[in-house]
Amino acid sequence: MKQNGRFMVGLVGVAAVVTYLVWTGVSDTMVYYLTPSELIAKIDEDPTFREVGVKVSGRLVVDSHEQTPGSLEHHFVVHDLEDESVTFPVVYRRPLPDTFTDSPEMVVDVVLEGRFNDAGVFEAQTVLTKCGSRYEATPEELRT
Amino acid sequence: MNVLGELALWIALPVSLWGMVLGFAGGRKQRGDLTLSAERSVYAVFFLTIIASLGVVDAFLNDRFEYWYVANYSSRNLATYFKVSGLWAGQRGSLLFWLLLLSLFATIAVWSNRRKNREFMPYVAGTLLTITSFFLVVLLFADVNPFETLGFTPADGAGLNPQLQNYWMTIHPPTLYLGFTAFTIPFAFAVAALLNGRLDSRWIVLTRKWTLLSWFFLANGIIFGMRWAYEELGWGGYWFWDPVENASLLPWLTATAFLHSIQIQENRGMLKVWNMGLVILTFLLTIFATFLTRSGLIESVHTFAQELKIAFIFLGFMASILMAGLVLVLYRLPKLKSENQIESFVSREAAFVFNNLILLGATFAVMWGTLLPLISEGFTGQEITVGPPFFNRVNLPIGLALLALMGIGPVIAWRRASKKNLKKNFLWPLVVGVVTAAGLWAAGARHGMALLTFGISAFVMAIIVVEFWKGTRARARIEGEGVVKAFYHLVARNRRRWGGYIVHVGVVFVFTAFAAAPWYGEFLQTLEPGETMTAESPLGHTYEMTYEGISTNIRDPDKNLQWQATALVSVRRDGEPLGTFTTEKRRYIRPEAQIVTEVGIKSFPMEDLYIILADADLDRILQGDAGGQAVTFNVLVKPLIAWIWAGGLIITLGSLISMWPSAGAVRAPTAARGRGTTGAEPLPAGD
Repeated sequence: MKQNGRFMVGLVGVAAVVTYLVWTGVSDTMVYYLTPSELIAKIDEDPTFREVGVKVSGRLVVDSHEQTPGSLEHHFVVHDLEDESVTFPVVYRRPLPDTFTDSPEMVVDVVLEGRFNDAGVFEAQTVLTKCGSRYEATPEELRT
Repeated sequence: MNVLGELALWIALPVSLWGMVLGFAGGRKQRGDLTLSAERSVYAVFFLTIIASLGVVDAFLNDRFEYWYVANYSSRNLATYFKVSGLWAGQRGSLLFWLLLLSLFATIAVWSNRRKNREFMPYVAGTLLTITSFFLVVLLFADVNPFETLGFTPADGAGLNPQLQNYWMTIHPPTLYLGFTAFTIPFAFAVAALLNGRLDSRWIVLTRKWTLLSWFFLANGIIFGMRWAYEELGWGGYWFWDPVENASLLPWLTATAFLHSIQIQENRGMLKVWNMGLVILTFLLTIFATFLTRSGLIESVHTFAQELKIAFIFLGFMASILMAGLVLVLYRLPKLKSENQIESFVSREAAFVFNNLILLGATFAVMWGTLLPLISEGFTGQEITVGPPFFNRVNLPIGLALLALMGIGPVIAWRRASKKNLKKNFLWPLVVGVVTAAGLWAAGARHGMALLTFGISAFVMAIIVVEFWKGTRARARIEGEGVVKAFYHLVARNRRRWGGYIVHVGVVFVFTAFAAAPWYGEFLQTLEPGETMTAESPLGHTYEMTYEGISTNIRDPDKNLQWQATALVSVRRDGEPLGTFTTEKRRYIRPEAQIVTEVGIKSFPMEDLYIILADADLDRILQGDAGGQAVTFNVLVKPLIAWIWAGGLIITLGSLISMWPSAGAVRAPTAARGRGTTGAEPLPAGD
């Protein structure tokens, strides 16, 4: 390996710099990705977790979406994908994505990023809807 | 046609497997007859795959909704070209389409070498058929057969996802797939070189054009995807560091590294193990990207299916390729010794090596960020994600280092650059870079990283311009030609070099455009008809948007429209009318339920105006309620967006120049130039 000395020095140097960038990048920007049940359990365990920014995936409770007239303030409720009794209210103050439709025929899974405010409402900074397998219908759906 | 299509797949599998065995046997036993059979299997697999693909296209065109795949990705009223693009709209068709492109390239590679390079061909055919066999197994046994039937015939299909009903979406996936599959050819030749022991630069020279072709398609595919996101997703972004976007970026990063490191092997006989590693890694990443694009392994707005079975099959295949590659490289290690070493960090070799290491660093960082949710969940049970802030932060310094090396690498001296060489090449460009950054600072730009990017971009551009100018001037003087003619001959005589420079110019444009991101402006406002909002651009322009009202179009089956609500906006720039723009919400008849937004974009050379109908009370608007016409617009002003697309075109131009076949300029293999053939086996006659 002696003949590759400089190559090795370069390799180690670049690897060290990239590792440092990735390491600090992850620790400064990482976000927990939780289900509503996990989030609520974590908050019960440690109330300060309320203020930590998190990413949560949940499902829109049908008919819960309301828009304050004349503004972009949206209120809705999401529940856990597995346990429908676990719910929390969300407020979002920007235009919602097109795929966010509150109707009984649709299942809308959302991924929220944000944190709880003092009133116990989740202040979402971003709302993404999961398209996922929506476009692959089951044979039963196609029958109609 | 459809039954025939499926039958073709079932015939193709044994043909492919048998050809694979014959190929490797033919190479091992040096039997030309076996090799010939293997090569014919490649042609046969291509032919059979064409039939299978035609079967799928035919099913789409004739609305054969008894097929699961057609029922899910098409509907009666879908436009014909979207029906054709159904072949790559979903996972099942995509896998077949991948196989079609791969077998096409395999056929071209085998056919063009039918009389030469015979010592490589048995193993090349064997390797290619191994990969086609794998895809055939996936198609037939992993629950992704595009010919699977439902057992009944629905009256109509579910329709194509409206976001995929866009011009760019019809060409973005095929372009990427062309890039992915084209890289299989260099991989196959690399494996062949490892097997036949001819480990000089021959395999690299033979596949140089393929590498370029693959890189060209990957670069274009990525840019088309950005264009699609920009026009169709409706939030004004072009890159979101989404797992699928990242998956297409990874092989491009390693292919870029490979494209540069092979030049070091060709010129200095170094980095042989490294190049083998890169070619294997890039191939694995193309497979990984193919797999990730159409599976639900990592949540993403692009992934459309969620089957675990196929995940394990793909991971198993990738692990086998990796193991086989490692074993072969270790076995051939004695023959992969470097003929030279890096003498100084201030040399072209070193610049290229750093370019490679940094590109690999970027690959690692992007991959780590993409897979972090999986890794963290697997190890700690706690899912952790990182988003655009992570990727931007990590890749910014990496990108700047690459940008600078892009200027330095091609002009710095080989082996060891003297002070004189450095001063001669870099003094004035450095001045240009510093002056540019200082000038922009004086003009009011106050974003450090962006200024650094603009400065380095100017430095690189200055180097390239000087190179072109020096070359042209020298040629004009020696040959007594006019400047234009001299310039043309300069480029034409060494297309690879000058084409490469042109690609670099395109990359500078794209990087410069990225650095304008801190100046993107957003203006959100709710307007009644007749009201006006204003947006100030960082370049000093004032845009005034007057909301003229909204018109509706309800139930238009010819256009597959359930309804469409179009807001009219008349725009003035610095008082001058620019005309009327539309932005709309629409819902298709099929697939139902989902609303899409179409945006209004006006592109200037220096900035884009992007108007989004962000929010509207659609229920009242569609009922024709005149009192409910207040809507919210989101107006974005985005400097230098056009530079991304311009950079893409320049990259295309440069790569086409590099790839253009030069008549009669078949370059002698490196061995002939006296740089160590490290013990290749004797060549058969006719090479």
